Amino acid sequence: MEILQQLWQIICHLMEESGFGKLSWENYVMVGISFILMYLAIKKQFEPLLLLPIAFGMCLVNLFPGIMGLPTTEMLTEAEMLKRNLDPSTYTTTVVNGMTYYNHTEYGGLFYYLYQGVKLGIYPPLIFLGIGCMTDFGPLIANPKSFILGAAAQVGIFLTFIIATAMGLFSPQEAGSIAIIGGADGPTAIFVTTKLAPQLLGPIAVAAYSYMALVPIIQPPIMRLLTTKKERSVVMGQLRPVSKLERILFPIIVVVIVALLLPDAAPLVGMLMLGNLFKESGVVDRINKTAQNELMNIITIFLGVTVGATATGTVFLTLQTAGIIGLGLFAFCLATACGVLFGKIMYAATGGKVNPLIGSAGVSAVPMAARISQKVGQEENPGNFLLMHAMGPNVAGVIGSAVAAGVLLSVLGK
Amino acid sequence: MNNMTEAFILLLAGFVVVFSVLIVLIAVVTIYSKIITSIQNAGKKKKEARNKNKEVVVSAPPAKAPTAYVPQTQDEDDGEIPGEIIAVIAAAVDAVYGEKKHRIRSVRKTRASRSAWSRAGVLDNTRPF
Repeated sequence: MEILQQLWQIICHLMEESGFGKLSWENYVMVGISFILMYLAIKKQFEPLLLLPIAFGMCLVNLFPGIMGLPTTEMLTEAEMLKRNLDPSTYTTTVVNGMTYYNHTEYGGLFYYLYQGVKLGIYPPLIFLGIGCMTDFGPLIANPKSFILGAAAQVGIFLTFIIATAMGLFSPQEAGSIAIIGGADGPTAIFVTTKLAPQLLGPIAVAAYSYMALVPIIQPPIMRLLTTKKERSVVMGQLRPVSKLERILFPIIVVVIVALLLPDAAPLVGMLMLGNLFKESGVVDRINKTAQNELMNIITIFLGVTVGATATGTVFLTLQTAGIIGLGLFAFCLATACGVLFGKIMYAATGGKVNPLIGSAGVSAVPMAARISQKVGQEENPGNFLLMHAMGPNVAGVIGSAVAAGVLLSVLGK
Repeated sequence: MNNMTEAFILLLAGFVVVFSVLIVLIAVVTIYSKIITSIQNAGKKKKEARNKNKEVVVSAPPAKAPTAYVPQTQDEDDGEIPGEIIAVIAAAVDAVYGEKKHRIRSVRKTRASRSAWSRAGVLDNTRPF
């Protein structure tokens, strides 16, 4: 009988220690959400490179919260140390009220250490390095006026900031982090949020990447609504060829100007331009390939799983998160609309030479936003190729959102 | 209210800074592009003077039946652009413009602005979804 009782106690203890005993209902809901995100990534292929690691990180942290656990230090007496078979001579000691305690450190979870790259703002600039290696700034150099469209799309960020502040639910720092979602640039959103409102990193990163993945669904209706058939049918003239020297000088000039005018944007813009210089110089092919492939992929895995791991049930399932998701969508739609409206201004100013559809590419989801301009333009005129024209505002949007991030950091980060 | 005042100031500062930084970049990029282009053009003009006859000029009737069209120009004999290539270009132009009135005035070689791989990338991106 006593044996049975002991067996029952062991089973009860195991049940208490297992996930079934420790997890709350919020964790199970989050596991469900992570399954939906995995479905979207695998079946619908919505930004799978990021959404899949994010979803899996989210799933794992809600099943085993310890994976994101902080390192802890326990103060043990000599007797407790010996009980645990620990050698006291290898530990540092603290004396409290004449009693000697040994500092026994428990290491943190795996994701805690990987997360340090996000927390310390290391991963986003490294992602920008890879993006720089893959970006062709040729269309922007050939048509520098595209910069205006890249700036116009950032207007959505600042308008959303006003609305988020007016709601009264968020502090100015939190409002700034939410507004940056409108830039449609995941690494920038993470970079700003880790510095201004790290507690909101999970919902903001998930919202930013989700909206980037949903560009093909969100943007076209706004673009069609704000433009006429005539405007959408505009065929733009061919871009001039850009010489190699111009391509090499571009990253150097941009980094000098941006870093001098806005030092807070320097980590992002600097790494973006370093990557681009690797590409355009043509003399560091090995580094260029590593930065845009292996390094970028490794960082993407670390960034994805750890960002997903910040979305624990208790943090994520709040009214605040619903507000962030809603405001993020608003910011993104507003950025698209501002880009298209500025495109219309350029259409009028140039006497109908600029197709306003390229304005929506000013949000920096590269190259998806440019592809949407191309697609919507071709719906009106199958012989219209807007892609290279849209790539100008698209890459300008990357620089523009990094500059907007610099403004938010320099004003709100103090 | 204090927060709102700060928010409006940030809104204005944001507009001003983002636009002014990008406008500075427009000015700088435009200026240095012009300088580089003019320097490179000066060098090119010398080369072009030597290779003046390389340009192939083709005058074609409205391309109703592009495959039947055979360019007959003296320059074609230089072997710069083979007749088949011109026929393919004419066919492609006809495929795009179809029934619309069109005329190929000249076919000339341009300096490749990007590598074959980069063009393949562009082609990949322009492919319909």
